[in-house]
Amino acid sequence: MDQQILNAIFIGSIYALFAVGYTLVFGVLDILNLAHSAVFMLGAALTYSLVINHGQSFLVACIIGVAASGLMGLVIEHVCLRPLRRRRAPPIAALISTVGLALIIVAAIEQGQRGTLFGWLWVDGANSVAFPPGTIPNPTWHIGDLTLEASKVAVIPISVALMLALGYVIRYTQVGRALRAVAENPRTARLMGLDVDRMISLTVVISSALGGVAGILFGVALGDISPYIGRDNVEVRGLAVIVLGGMGSVPGAVVGGYLLGLIEVFAVVALGSGARGGVAFAALFLMLVLRPQGLFGAQLREKI
Amino acid sequence: MKRLHLVAWLAAALLVAACGSSPGGGTSNANSYSGKTIKLGAILSITGAGGVYGPQSRDGANLAVKQINASGGVNGAQIALTINDDASDKAQSAQVAQKLIQSEQDLALLGPTLSNSAVAVHPLAESLKTPILAVSTTGIHIVPDCNFPATTPCKYVFRDSLGEETAIPTNIKSYATDKHPATGVLLVAQDDKFSSDGGKIVQDTVAQYNINLLKTIKFNKAEADLSPYVTQAVQAKPDVIFITSLGGIPAKIMTEARKQGWQGQFLGGNGFNTATVSKQAGADGKGARSASAWYLGNTFASNKEFVDAYKAEYSKDPDQFAAQGYTAIKVLADAAKRANLTFSDLAGDRDKLRTAMESVNIQTPLGPFQFTSTHDVKQTVWVIAMDGAGGFTLVHEVKQS
Repeated sequence: MDQQILNAIFIGSIYALFAVGYTLVFGVLDILNLAHSAVFMLGAALTYSLVINHGQSFLVACIIGVAASGLMGLVIEHVCLRPLRRRRAPPIAALISTVGLALIIVAAIEQGQRGTLFGWLWVDGANSVAFPPGTIPNPTWHIGDLTLEASKVAVIPISVALMLALGYVIRYTQVGRALRAVAENPRTARLMGLDVDRMISLTVVISSALGGVAGILFGVALGDISPYIGRDNVEVRGLAVIVLGGMGSVPGAVVGGYLLGLIEVFAVVALGSGARGGVAFAALFLMLVLRPQGLFGAQLREKI
Repeated sequence: MKRLHLVAWLAAALLVAACGSSPGGGTSNANSYSGKTIKLGAILSITGAGGVYGPQSRDGANLAVKQINASGGVNGAQIALTINDDASDKAQSAQVAQKLIQSEQDLALLGPTLSNSAVAVHPLAESLKTPILAVSTTGIHIVPDCNFPATTPCKYVFRDSLGEETAIPTNIKSYATDKHPATGVLLVAQDDKFSSDGGKIVQDTVAQYNINLLKTIKFNKAEADLSPYVTQAVQAKPDVIFITSLGGIPAKIMTEARKQGWQGQFLGGNGFNTATVSKQAGADGKGARSASAWYLGNTFASNKEFVDAYKAEYSKDPDQFAAQGYTAIKVLADAAKRANLTFSDLAGDRDKLRTAMESVNIQTPLGPFQFTSTHDVKQTVWVIAMDGAGGFTLVHEVKQS
């Protein structure tokens, strides 16, 4: 049982970190950025490739991986969001354009073979790979019945620290105040002299960088990196998390992430292994019926 | 009634085989096919989900064609093999088969790579009376009931790959005889036909060997975080963990279970039998056992020649899929040699080839090779264990009676 709680906190940290980025963009733009799961995957794939195929150290690879994920945020803003915003397209149009970009990113990685266009980025095609044992130091400790594996244990403080830092920035800094102003009312923010487009770019970049970090942590700790890790593991679950927590609420995404991790793991323990996916979505359904605004939807009238 | 039907069919098949083989063996001279071409078509998954297996089947088959053609061909006829990618897609697989049979007029087909595609391709070949030899499909209802749920045996469908129905029980029996385990836990991907079929076979087999299956733990194949399932398995403290999945899953389960301090035995199926899996599992997989159709380290002549030639051609070790692809061409060449082909009557030649295939008895990299009366492979099964360094060691050789 104890081990299962640890399993839940670990996977919950990743869900939370992923969902924080998801919900941040929603809070500011009222748009679901469905390319977020592709950025998650890209961060993991690029970091793996840099270490294994380009001989970089793990630390350098992580830094480049996170930076590239952030840059991908700029691409999302300039390709999918800004042109549609200029034309006052409805949010659904932007949602569809992010789906399109996600498909393109996944397909590009999927085609990566040695000697092809994307060979520098990824050479394993549609296959799933893992960091070979020894490439990343990963000591394992046993305390009583508990197994503590460094790569998984590390996920928890890293996620928590990043989420606290984000919370601090949003609440107590000049940039955070500007972000909240844009989220509250972009037109008023613009009238007050804020560069709204720049604030939106910044939001998408921060969101994507966090998505990239979540992807790297996921790939390292779970030993599973493939073009499909975003789509299969966090895309829909991330959506569930932000609905549980309240759309657009950063603290809600954090709580929702850990909640989903716990619900999933306890579904396995209490109801049998086949119930994992089903129970998580039953909880989501109940939340939508009983409290459609999510856990933190009502208390926080202001966004993000 | 069904049984009577089967017996009548078998008798007829034997009779045809007997009639067909005597003039074939006696009268044909070595160069009677001289100047002709034997057209074969392989349907393989070079891309898509089956892309980890198809390329090896292709390389093995191409090597056999090259060797046979270089040493004078089949009674003087050259083999022309085309490789056709089905992208691991069932519908595309069937379209390719239709083209090869009807427009290309191939004598016989190989493949397809995946059992899922075989469900579409094999009944088609059967209805168009074209011999087809499966080279990697291990699922149930491949032979002889290719039209499952109809039970009429398919006459034109053969298989040279070792089915999970043989591999898994052979492996469990051999381990039970060696170590007498008392308890086991089964981990199975519930949304994957290969894995869930394998799981059923494990469930049906364990009781015979007094292994108490404590738990069956189901998960979905795309889930990356398997730790809650492994924790459940480990907490049951079984002697054995059975894994019937494919691809990266077995290695992940092994690594996680070892990290959680579990010391028992892993038993599996065909999903263990590639170097990739052994390599991914590394030291955590050491000792994990499975039954295989083929073993790299076998030193009997027909395997050694194959391994040496493959290494010389492709500069890497072959695997089970390469050996099965290679064997398929040798089987078809042997049958063609004895079939007294006319090269003018395609339908007649396809029938003759089919009949000759039933009496194949040759040495291959898989060991001595024959088909059973249901067109399944009848070969020695090699129980192998991962060596902890990306390879395998041989544990037992199990001859099939």
